[in-house]
Amino acid sequence: MAETIEALERRIDELRVAVREAVLSGDPALAKTRRAELKRAEQAWEDALAVATVSAVPAPAETVSGQAVPEASPVAGPGEPGSLLPLREQVYEALSLLQVPAAPKLIATVHEAFFGSTFPTTRVTSLKRDEERSFRTAPFARPYYICAALSADYLSPSRGLLAVSTWPMERRVIGSLSPRVDFLTAAIRVADAIERIPTPPVTARRLLQRFAASIPGASGGARDQVKPDVVRQAADAELSVHADADSRMRREAADRARRQLANAEQLFGAKLQPVSDEAGPNAG
Amino acid sequence: MNSDQPPGPVEARLDRLRGRALPVNHNARTISALAANPGCPRRALMDAAGVDKQKIAAHIGYPAPFGQSRFAIGRGNAFEARVKENGAAQLLALLREHLDLDVTEVGYTDFNDVAGNPSRELRHVRTRQALTGQDFAPRTLFDHPLLRLRVGGRHAYLEPDLIALRLDGSFHVIEIKSFPVIDGQADAGKVAAAAIQSAVYVRALRDLIAEAGGDPGRVSHETILIAPRDFASQPVAVSVDVRKQLGVLDRQLVRMTKIADLLEPCPATLTFDLDPDRDGTPRRPREELAAALALVPASYAPECLTTCELCFACRAEAAGSTGALGKSVREDLGGIEYTAQALALARGQLPSAEQAEIAVLLLRAAQLREQLLGEVFP
Repeated sequence: MAETIEALERRIDELRVAVREAVLSGDPALAKTRRAELKRAEQAWEDALAVATVSAVPAPAETVSGQAVPEASPVAGPGEPGSLLPLREQVYEALSLLQVPAAPKLIATVHEAFFGSTFPTTRVTSLKRDEERSFRTAPFARPYYICAALSADYLSPSRGLLAVSTWPMERRVIGSLSPRVDFLTAAIRVADAIERIPTPPVTARRLLQRFAASIPGASGGARDQVKPDVVRQAADAELSVHADADSRMRREAADRARRQLANAEQLFGAKLQPVSDEAGPNAG
Repeated sequence: MNSDQPPGPVEARLDRLRGRALPVNHNARTISALAANPGCPRRALMDAAGVDKQKIAAHIGYPAPFGQSRFAIGRGNAFEARVKENGAAQLLALLREHLDLDVTEVGYTDFNDVAGNPSRELRHVRTRQALTGQDFAPRTLFDHPLLRLRVGGRHAYLEPDLIALRLDGSFHVIEIKSFPVIDGQADAGKVAAAAIQSAVYVRALRDLIAEAGGDPGRVSHETILIAPRDFASQPVAVSVDVRKQLGVLDRQLVRMTKIADLLEPCPATLTFDLDPDRDGTPRRPREELAAALALVPASYAPECLTTCELCFACRAEAAGSTGALGKSVREDLGGIEYTAQALALARGQLPSAEQAEIAVLLLRAAQLREQLLGEVFP
């Protein structure tokens, strides 16, 4: 529980900053919604504190033992549909598990499968906007930002994909082979995560099944008895076919991004100015 | 098709037909609707001029509830998003099986916008660059490329759901639809509509490849329809041969370039202008507009009800003619134009020389009816 309280404290601080920004920028509607969020977070903090003082019993035994991946928060109880964590931290948890840029829907599904709570994907759109606004007013003030993945050809935000700002640029650019490579990588991460849990929840197994259905040789005959190591092997096998070409393309695009783009654009993507309708910029 | 574009005067007359309204753009749906009733001069002319048929129909008192329902669109988009999520993983699995794609063929490129800019010109330029191989990224799946087709002297932009390019250089048009394929069977009308829509894309893609100096034969006439299997949302792929639809479409497109012949019998002053006021409310007298419409002959058929905004107006106009009852009735009653005439012959009116044959048949039919029902033919 301690993590949750600390996360909430961080969240409250951030929300205070956000309220101030909204008020100063003269946006009463935004300020109102953020004030409401702040109030909710403060209430959640009070509740969490009350729970922590009452229950002298230690938290349930840790089931997820991630080492490299920061997924330390234990799986929430099954009777607890919503998470106390703010949306950005939930997105961060899921992305940290996947380790590749992903669409809001996959992020929500992963969070539901491994962290026991989900969120409406529509909220994610405003999250990215908020993150960008926050970065532009105070660059690098937060330890991480939920940011965009960049399309390799124009270095513009890739439609519908989210990433984490602390990842290397190579991971955040998307070439033509990258969607497949990232899909296979995500499948491997999900298989790894399932193996770490003694009794994986149904949602997690179903997620792995969905991955397996689109990877040749991953289903291993039985549809409902998908094995994590079979999925990993199959994904690895296909990954080895694409990996070289993909990483070459990504390295080249990442170099270009670091050379050409300012800090904010490196995180949130360059936008093509509608100057002339002759032709787009060179694809490199 | 580029050589015989309509010359200036035709364009001017078409502009006059349309009046002050902005031209309505063609899309795959409207182009495929053209092919559904190729013999209709009214539709051909109004579409060539880009007239907003829906508004005209509403103003003369025959509004047609046209366009897809919001729910159908929502369902369609949700299914398409599901099939295309995670780098089109589900779709790729299907296509690997169906098109024999190699394991290396996984390149996926999104053409929904160009660097966040959704301008159609830009998207088309980018599509052209990518499809004609001016950049060398490994591409297999093209998500929502933007093609262009010349229809009646104007470019219509078309957006196929997906185009797949195989290693051997052949292109396949892929259409994602949300009507179910149950036990290997789907609604025939819907499949036909999807086929003609795919044919429109094949045509546009062939034009694009040919313009770039490539071989248009690389675009396969085997298109692929992706639809939900049975009652679940699992997709299934079905091959659809669109050669026949391409033939119909080509004929209709050639016809549209010969729009001058259709214009000829119409008076030079003919216009479908609605004379809108500042808020866009039409001020033109209803009777006047209806009279203008009547100057262009229509060929109504029951199929129009599913494809044309003017269907109710044309149906009212065609009431009493044998054609309004459908192609098969018209053919059975060869040479008789009005139902009243057919009934008169059945009652025993003396036929003219060329109607003698059909008159005998009609008399016989009336007799049979009397015997069976025991009532006198009215």
